[in-house]
Amino acid sequence: MLKQLSVFVENRSGSLMNVTNALLDADINIRAISSFDTPEFGILRLIVDEPEEAKAALTARGFVVRVGDVLAVELEDKKGSLNAMLKILADGNISINYIYSFVIRENQAPVMVFHTDDIEEATQLLENHDLIIVD
Amino acid sequence: MIWAKEETLPRAEIEEIQLARLQSTVSYIYERVPSYRKKMEEAGVKPEDVKTLKDLQKLPFTNKSDFRENYPTGMFAVPSSQLQRVHASSGTTGKPTIVGYTKNDLHMWTNNVSRIACLGGATGDDIAQICFGYGMFTGALGLHMGLENIGACVMPTSTGNTKKQLMFMQDMGTTLLVATPSYALRIGEVAKLNGIDPIRDLNLKIGLFGGEGMTEAMRAEMKKMWGEDFLCTQNYGMSELCGPGVSGECEYLCGMHINEDWFIPEIIDPNTGEVLPAGEKGELVITCLGREALPLLRYRTKDISRLFYEPCKCGRTTCRMENLSGRSDDMLVIRGVNVFPGQIEEVLLKIEEIGPHYEILVERKNHLDVMTISVELVDDRLLDKYSMLSALETRIRQGLRDILGLDATIRLMAPQSLQRFEGKAKRVTDLRKDGL
Repeated sequence: MLKQLSVFVENRSGSLMNVTNALLDADINIRAISSFDTPEFGILRLIVDEPEEAKAALTARGFVVRVGDVLAVELEDKKGSLNAMLKILADGNISINYIYSFVIRENQAPVMVFHTDDIEEATQLLENHDLIIVD
Repeated sequence: MIWAKEETLPRAEIEEIQLARLQSTVSYIYERVPSYRKKMEEAGVKPEDVKTLKDLQKLPFTNKSDFRENYPTGMFAVPSSQLQRVHASSGTTGKPTIVGYTKNDLHMWTNNVSRIACLGGATGDDIAQICFGYGMFTGALGLHMGLENIGACVMPTSTGNTKKQLMFMQDMGTTLLVATPSYALRIGEVAKLNGIDPIRDLNLKIGLFGGEGMTEAMRAEMKKMWGEDFLCTQNYGMSELCGPGVSGECEYLCGMHINEDWFIPEIIDPNTGEVLPAGEKGELVITCLGREALPLLRYRTKDISRLFYEPCKCGRTTCRMENLSGRSDDMLVIRGVNVFPGQIEEVLLKIEEIGPHYEILVERKNHLDVMTISVELVDDRLLDKYSMLSALETRIRQGLRDILGLDATIRLMAPQSLQRFEGKAKRVTDLRKDGL
């Protein structure tokens, strides 16, 4: 399982930058970032190298921050691999709350990050199908 | 500790003092203050018509506008040579209200504030930090004199520079804080942001709050911030009535004890001016007794309260006024519904996922009143799913609808993003223009 940061942000100019700036000052490396088109406020999701330090740095600046578990699966960079992963989950009746991706530079592999309410079950299912869970 | 024996007299004796002082005050003002004499003449009342306390009802009211019309010192009953101090109200609109004190007035004021301090649990051993703005405002110097008078050590830190306030608080071991309730919460918040635990690292035991009302929900918030044993009371006064020292809560928190030997309270219907029976809600009217520089008869405070005359468990027999449920001029009329900001605050402060600060914006869109309430999110658990944030919004909206019967738009904001106040909090912005 991978740790993800969720940060409450208001929809106005500069609010994302305020987050990244605080992380820069705390010498935190961002691996992935995602946010969705929502009215008035949103939740910024981040994968960083030091999640607890990042939370401390952001909280000290007055942000509301949550560190939580997400599943990250390393896929092969070829057609159909995402579909195969999603099929395993769908067959197992696991629903996904949100999903985004990033790339591990060293081995050029795409990583799908997703959140589900059934994290244990999903992990088990994916491992049974020999998928690589990143942590 | 009860500061003065007048606080524990049987009702008949309190009323005896009140009547004697009322009669001399009426004659005094009739002789010395032409504007009030004129009002009495117009109402056809003479000083000798006041034979019982009930005859107070025959006397005309004094209004804030009387101060404006007689600016700066037309309401004073003594020449400036006899004045020892002048204060002024904040005067957010137009000219300030000027208030004068003779030597005796200052003495009476000081002792009244000492009573309020003792009501709130203060003793001569306390180290009191006064975070009211000094200057023309009566709050700071009033509490300053009253606390010094009981032997407490007073630190006049005034407002501003919250980090420095905390430094004094920590280094000097402040035990008693004088502030507005909103600033007391702010100080705690800044403490936490700077790694100071308000309960463990500070020695604060007593809060004497004034300048703005404190709802019960806010008091609960205060205990969360400063610890279960923190005794936080509020007290009441306004520049026109000397300043602080009119009334204050005791440790039983069942309303504010009025210093009745110096102030006669009445509750009236704000529309008709008719005096209401004890226990009924209406506008508080105060008559100041024995004041030399600025005697006031039946001053309309615009504050909404109720009066209770049963003796209190604390041993005092003085009348208690219910904690203010709003000011008659704070009331908003939104889509025809009367709304007091305090009602909104009660709802908001019960919701744990948001912080104690809020702003209310009222606008008119397409000829309809629209109320938007901004609150700060503090609970990170809701960030797991967006749906939990929307559910919180719905819950706040539902809570407000249950109390007010009105719909509001809720705006969730990041913590620390709403404005903080060192004095009275200004939480309501009304952008409506009449007739538009």
